[in-house]
Amino acid sequence: MKIAINLLQALILILGAPLLRGIIGRIKAWIQRRQGASIWSPYADLVKLFRKEDLVPPSASWVFRFAPRVLFGTAVCVAAFVPVVQPSALLASRGDFFLLAYLLALGRFFLSLGGMDGGSALGGMGASREALISSLAEAPFLLGLVAVAILAGHADIAGMVAWTLRQNIFNISAVHILAFTSLAMVVIAETGRMPVDNPTTHLELTMIHEAMVLEYSGPSLALVESASAIKFHTMVALLIALFAPWGMATSVSVWSIAAALLLYFLKAAVLMGLLAVVESGVAKLRMYLVPDFLGVASAVSALAVIFTMLAKR
Amino acid sequence: MGLVEIATGKVLSSFSVFLFLTVLLLVVARRISTCILLFSVQSAIIAAEVFATGFQERLAEAYVVGALVFVIKVVAIPRAFFLLVDRLKTSRDVKASTTPTQSVFIAVAMIYLSYAAVHSYGQAVHVPEDALAAAVALILTGAFLMVSRRKALMQMLGLLVLENGIFLAALTTTFGMPDLTGDFCAR
Repeated sequence: MKIAINLLQALILILGAPLLRGIIGRIKAWIQRRQGASIWSPYADLVKLFRKEDLVPPSASWVFRFAPRVLFGTAVCVAAFVPVVQPSALLASRGDFFLLAYLLALGRFFLSLGGMDGGSALGGMGASREALISSLAEAPFLLGLVAVAILAGHADIAGMVAWTLRQNIFNISAVHILAFTSLAMVVIAETGRMPVDNPTTHLELTMIHEAMVLEYSGPSLALVESASAIKFHTMVALLIALFAPWGMATSVSVWSIAAALLLYFLKAAVLMGLLAVVESGVAKLRMYLVPDFLGVASAVSALAVIFTMLAKR
Repeated sequence: MGLVEIATGKVLSSFSVFLFLTVLLLVVARRISTCILLFSVQSAIIAAEVFATGFQERLAEAYVVGALVFVIKVVAIPRAFFLLVDRLKTSRDVKASTTPTQSVFIAVAMIYLSYAAVHSYGQAVHVPEDALAAAVALILTGAFLMVSRRKALMQMLGLLVLENGIFLAALTTTFGMPDLTGDFCAR
């Protein structure tokens, strides 16, 4: 039963990912007084792309076709690490958050290779920018998770979530606030959201993620797009699980699972609304300011780790 | 009534974290108007802290002080600053002599330093360590802002942040206000 629910959690993260994109697009359209596309349109886009021909540049090697598959595989793996409706996960094991961070890094590495292998100037440019951002984002990501792990006294994500679930909602500590701040900044940078990268354009010289995938088409592009959607959904689910897990099912019954699922969707919707407001309200950062943005995230996460020490004293 | 008590407890136990966040944001901010807004937010947090202390220690005069802090530091001073920014028509940049990343790491180091400095004293006099550390961190950051920003407006703002820190230190070490009103009543 427990394994079935864990499987369900991973499926929610994987299959619900395009929906999340659709919802955020819809809210943004609503804020900007546009009509906006249907929230199901990302699914239609994926179906359309899967039916199309996969065009490969003549100069590209096997890496070009191979990279999206690896990226998609790592994204699916990562989705199996994060609790959604109950504090356990399909691939939970001790120290799994390190594995999560490095699986994400592996996917990014292959995507950068694919971007460079395409042979266009923009692909190489996007890849180098992605490498810069991801190398700067890795330290705050791990430090933020480590701070929560030290506080909870567990080295696996499911354990941390279970510990937070047992705490009173009013007893959120300084460590949680600081770790949430830094992890939220990292999620924005890692998933290419607004102050760091504009996810809705192919026409800017400052694009990062879109520049890398410019040469992809057909099923390969569909894999890349769905992988980045899954990664985004997983990161959002990770934030919710670590910092607002209340309402997750502690017992295995149909009703509690259903309630937990409903609450999860509500929390995700609230977070999406917040993100849409932020994305509509702020201008994109200049490329040279992104290291500063992530420097602040690093400092905040370092402070979170320092605070765990002060809290224990 | 229970809700008010919970809110008071929350303000007292977590306001220092939010002060640290404003400190970190202050040192990375690039525009003067952002800094002014952050100073306003910081003062609002301190006003909330004054109200919470007043509620907990049953001090009526603390409410007066809290209201004064709110009117002067949250509304009046930032307003005057915005007027000044408008009238001076200088560039909006704070003209920092350190990059934001350097500044934020310096700020983190100062927060840690203030914890280290306050630790033994806090245990000796039984005052909340978080609050006192936040006060010392505010003083240090104010001084840091004054020496590392070349704009005169920012130096004024640094002085005000420093002053916020001194006010907070007085508040936390004396558990309320200097007992002026009590003296007046006794006379």
